[in-house]
Amino acid sequence: MCAKILDGRKLSAEIREELKGRVGKLKRKGITPGLGGILVGEDPGSVTYVGLKSKACDEVGVTEKVLRLPENITEEELLRNIQSLNQDLEIHGIFIQLPLPKHLSEEKVLAQILPQKDVDGFHPLNVGKAWLGQPAFFPAVVLAIQEMLIRYGYDLKHKDVVIVNVDNMVGKPLASLLVQDEEGAGANVTLCHPATPDLASCTRRADVLVVSVNKPNFITADMIKEGAWVIDFGSNWIEEPVTKKRKTVGDVDFEKVKEKAKAITPVPGGVGPMLVTMLLVNTVTAAERQAGG
Amino acid sequence: MPAEIIDGRKIAEEIREGLKGRVAKLEERKMTPGLAVILVGEDPASLSYICMIEREGEACGVYIQVIKLSSDIKQEQLEGKIEELNQDANFHGIILQLPLPKHLNALSAESKISPDKDVDGTNPISTGKLLLGEETFFPSTPYGVQQLLIRSGHDPTGKRVVICGRSNIVGKPLAAILMQKKVGANATVTICHTGTKDLASVTREADILIAAMGRLKSVTADMVKEGAVVVDVGINPVKDPETGKTKIVGDVDLDAVNERAAAITPVPGGTGPVTSVMLMENTVKAAELAEGV
Repeated sequence: MCAKILDGRKLSAEIREELKGRVGKLKRKGITPGLGGILVGEDPGSVTYVGLKSKACDEVGVTEKVLRLPENITEEELLRNIQSLNQDLEIHGIFIQLPLPKHLSEEKVLAQILPQKDVDGFHPLNVGKAWLGQPAFFPAVVLAIQEMLIRYGYDLKHKDVVIVNVDNMVGKPLASLLVQDEEGAGANVTLCHPATPDLASCTRRADVLVVSVNKPNFITADMIKEGAWVIDFGSNWIEEPVTKKRKTVGDVDFEKVKEKAKAITPVPGGVGPMLVTMLLVNTVTAAERQAGG
Repeated sequence: MPAEIIDGRKIAEEIREGLKGRVAKLEERKMTPGLAVILVGEDPASLSYICMIEREGEACGVYIQVIKLSSDIKQEQLEGKIEELNQDANFHGIILQLPLPKHLNALSAESKISPDKDVDGTNPISTGKLLLGEETFFPSTPYGVQQLLIRSGHDPTGKRVVICGRSNIVGKPLAAILMQKKVGANATVTICHTGTKDLASVTREADILIAAMGRLKSVTADMVKEGAVVVDVGINPVKDPETGKTKIVGDVDLDAVNERAAAITPVPGGTGPVTSVMLMENTVKAAELAEGV
């Protein structure tokens, strides 16, 4: 048996089409959804990623406004820039491109975003509301994972979900989303560290295994249950031993695991292409909420 | 061999002794830690809990004032009272006793408690900070469970913890505490609930099993791994058929589990006594922070 490949590119295109419809409706009411962003410095990865966001905004009809700020900006000055986006009525969602330079406190900066515009879902109020089961914004990656499972027909209710990652950006918000007694959730969730003792005994229980540790071949076939759904959110830049070509791979031993799993996300082409799209979903949702429906 | 009984009263006494020293230091600065307890209406269970808090306050040297509000109070009046207490320097902690009468929105009222005085950690901002691993007040029941484990020699670090029950006052905050990469935490945490299929196969994985489903005898011997530590957070009132008196029993079938577990918390006398002392600990901490010590 060979696993079904969960195609993030295809789903992403599908969701963007739906978004165009929602944006059209808002525009007929005289509202153009706006995404504001802050990019500090010129980290090449960050610059590329912000470029992807701009392109996607263009595609679905969301206005985009990125403030490009110098590397050596003071925290005070940065907070003032966030305030200006908070007050801008044409901006419905705000992202801060991470990582920030070391002299800036991410904790303080993220808490400055107006919670109703916090489309990355990093503000403590959003994190808290989400954990308590109240309406809140979730980070794009966890929405992407949930959306992929749902759109490929997987019912999470009462399933064993094991997440290998306990970070604020992935593991915790994903647990927060999937543990609630809601549609598309209601799972039993286990959070493991990569160093959890006897990790394989945890992962082998999983109906859905999510991994994000950035270690190639970290999840091997013996670590998964026959018929599991495997979501790989790892990204590792490696050199192919034979051809010496460099390429991106995930955390899962894809070739072997796909023989045993029921479904699996590839890397690249899995969760990755969904990320920017889910940020736009949040932005359009924010605009709809701010418009009162 | 019967399990070790973890004596919550003894551990509470230990914590109380430590607190008295800290209160004495504050008294030297002419400061008495103060806790405002808001009670709306006259729910009998709330009244008996408040009685316990008042006794605990007296034992620790924390000033407790119960603010009784009539059951037909309006939301704005309740929130106005909270705002007033936020400004009142006599109180370092504020708790809102639940349940509230049906016409009141608890979450909205809790959101008004200043995070500096939110000693039961119920403001969603506090919840968010808790999950993110930032400095905040832990809700007293799960905080007490963590202390019970540590002080009875069953540190959760590196252990498999299974939490049965995903309530906002016990299950979720306890999971949030124990999953952090911190001293006395850093466990592999699973959150499951009464709807879980084959719950026993999940709970048998636990080194530490937390029963917090609020169902009498819902944790039976077959659900417990030999040598596990079992913490019973259940509070179920049961009428004794012979005497007609009501007594409190937990979620764990104590007699049966006793033979398999290595250690177990009794009900009453387990997590209960520690809960009220942790509320005082948080109030004293809030007073210390306000005083800058």
